[in-house]
Amino acid sequence: MSDTIIRIENLVKIYGKNAAKTHALKGVSIEIPRGSFSCVVGPSGHGKSTLLQLIGGLDKPTDGSVLICDADISKMSDNKLSELRAEKIGFVFQFFNLLHNLTAMENIQTAMMFGKIPQKDHRAKAEKLLALVGLSDKANAKPSELSGGQQQRVSIARALANDPDILLMDEPTGNLDSESENEVLNHIFEIHKSGKTIVIVTHNTELAHRADLLFVIKDGILIQKEGLS
Amino acid sequence: MNIFKLVAKNLLRRKGRFVFTLLGITIGMASFVALLSLGGSMRGEVTRQADALGANLIITPKNWCAYDQISILTGNSLPESLQYSVLAEVSAIPGITAVPYLTQTTAVQNRPVSVIGIYPAEMLEFNDWRVREGNYFSSRDVRVLVLGSGIANSFNLNVGDTLTIRGENFPVAAILEENGNNDDTAMYLPLSVVQEIFDVGEYISYIGAKVENIAETESYIAAILDVVNVSVTTDRQLLSTVLSMLGSINVALQLIAGVSLVAAAFGIINTMMTAISERRREIGILRAIGGKSGAIFKIFLLESGLYGFLGGILGVAVGYVVSIFAGPMIAESGMGDLLKGAAPEASINAPIIFAAIFLSVAISVLSGFYPAWKAAKLTPAEAMSYE
Ligand SMILES: Nc1ncnc2c1ncn2[C@@H]1O[C@H](COP(=O)(O)OP(=O)(O)OP(=O)(O)O)[C@@H](O)[C@H]1O
Ligand SMILES: [Mg+2]
Repeated sequence: MSDTIIRIENLVKIYGKNAAKTHALKGVSIEIPRGSFSCVVGPSGHGKSTLLQLIGGLDKPTDGSVLICDADISKMSDNKLSELRAEKIGFVFQFFNLLHNLTAMENIQTAMMFGKIPQKDHRAKAEKLLALVGLSDKANAKPSELSGGQQQRVSIARALANDPDILLMDEPTGNLDSESENEVLNHIFEIHKSGKTIVIVTHNTELAHRADLLFVIKDGILIQKEGLS
Repeated sequence: MNIFKLVAKNLLRRKGRFVFTLLGITIGMASFVALLSLGGSMRGEVTRQADALGANLIITPKNWCAYDQISILTGNSLPESLQYSVLAEVSAIPGITAVPYLTQTTAVQNRPVSVIGIYPAEMLEFNDWRVREGNYFSSRDVRVLVLGSGIANSFNLNVGDTLTIRGENFPVAAILEENGNNDDTAMYLPLSVVQEIFDVGEYISYIGAKVENIAETESYIAAILDVVNVSVTTDRQLLSTVLSMLGSINVALQLIAGVSLVAAAFGIINTMMTAISERRREIGILRAIGGKSGAIFKIFLLESGLYGFLGGILGVAVGYVVSIFAGPMIAESGMGDLLKGAAPEASINAPIIFAAIFLSVAISVLSGFYPAWKAAKLTPAEAMSYE
């Protein structure tokens, strides 16, 4: 846990133009070591999701830079960014993570379409991932036939489809009851043990205390940092 | 999982919309194919009949319009406006054999049939007629009928039957062998008899003429125009007039079909735009898990292209069936004289089928271009942002 996998320098994000401008991030700098477990907390509407989107290359920063494995993604082409997301990064969001007309199995295999795993291995790999999140028996279920917690576990399995180094999760348990939440969190801890770098945005204080690193974002500024170094 | 499976699953998720959009392009293609094949068979039929035209020259009154000239091909009733005396003057020119036609209409079993007044012996030779059964006219004033084979067949008439024309009963004396042109679809009386019962006096409809030396056709025409004030066409000219008229009918038909295809194209655009705004969040997910904008473009373009492919196949099938049923229906109506006996299936062939399916795919891919481009240019963050 020494080398830095995510380096954020003076990150600024402004949404909209003129009068409607929103300064979502106002110069945030963060370093995240490979294999660490980080939590981002803060009040609602203060820039946490924005930060995560910029780390994952879903959006371009207004200013500053994001380096993943020392490569500056703010300068990458759209295609390069897509490849990065396919191979190095897995996302889990709070709502509507899954493609609703596809089964759990198909959702995971769709992610593999964009990665580098040979087509012939897709099925076996997807089955393994479903087993990892304890849903082997739900392979052919559509999202509407799954509980919220089960859907999030499928999302986590999908995020792992191409064996990424980094998992970015935006309130993955935000709309789950505490029982489902614990189940999902246990899977996340398991996955962390396998060596993935994990960044989670959360309101769960207990989870926040178990993290290696804790970042508190308020009003677009990093106001507090705890853990490691 | 692959892109085709993904597209197929997307297409079928809104079954109602899928069906209606598909119907749009199917109807467009069906009308296109049906009209094309009807146009084609009309053209084929005119060419076939013109091939069988017996005369090299057709002498008509000066004031005839193109419709009258078409009627010569179709055997419809014609104005009796050429003076009978013209025939003698034309026949007097050396090297010309001329025969008169006086075309009138009567009804057989309540359906219109042409009755043509002729010079029996001259006509037999002029058109190379052969008698299938019975005895052909014995003189220029016998009051008996000779039937074309098509008339005999379709009304199931035999030698010895009697038909009533203008209140007078005429026995059928003979039936001609099939000739392959519209001689088959008329019945014949001596010229003087038709003049008398239809009360037209000393007039005929037109004159058919053969020349001794075809290479000199132009000078024969000049000679005719020298002695009488008429208009003279060659059957080749007549054919090209008719074909050019049919050409404009075809253009009109294809324009109608074109409009329905444009409407279908907008149906596809509409469906795709709706699908994209509904699936915005999904586009975001696909982008977040590594889908390139090119992949999004491909997914939506394939989706609309599939409409065209399926619609094209269905449209060709429906259009083919329609043209089979519509052909005879049109043949019953006025315009259908050009279509007598025309088989529409003759003008639907493999190249037309492939061209139609290709056209359909091309239209729908083109329609899908803008929506697919809209979807592809959404940034992942835009697509993810929940409304
Ligand atoms: N696409 C966008 N366009 C304009 N403004 C945006 C957009 N996304 C976010 N914002 C604004 O940026 C600010 C930060 O939003 P963000 O979603 O990062 O907050 P958050 O900390 O994740 O909040 P929550 O805890 O409620 O999820 C908010 O004021 C929000 O209104
Ligand atoms: Mg958020």
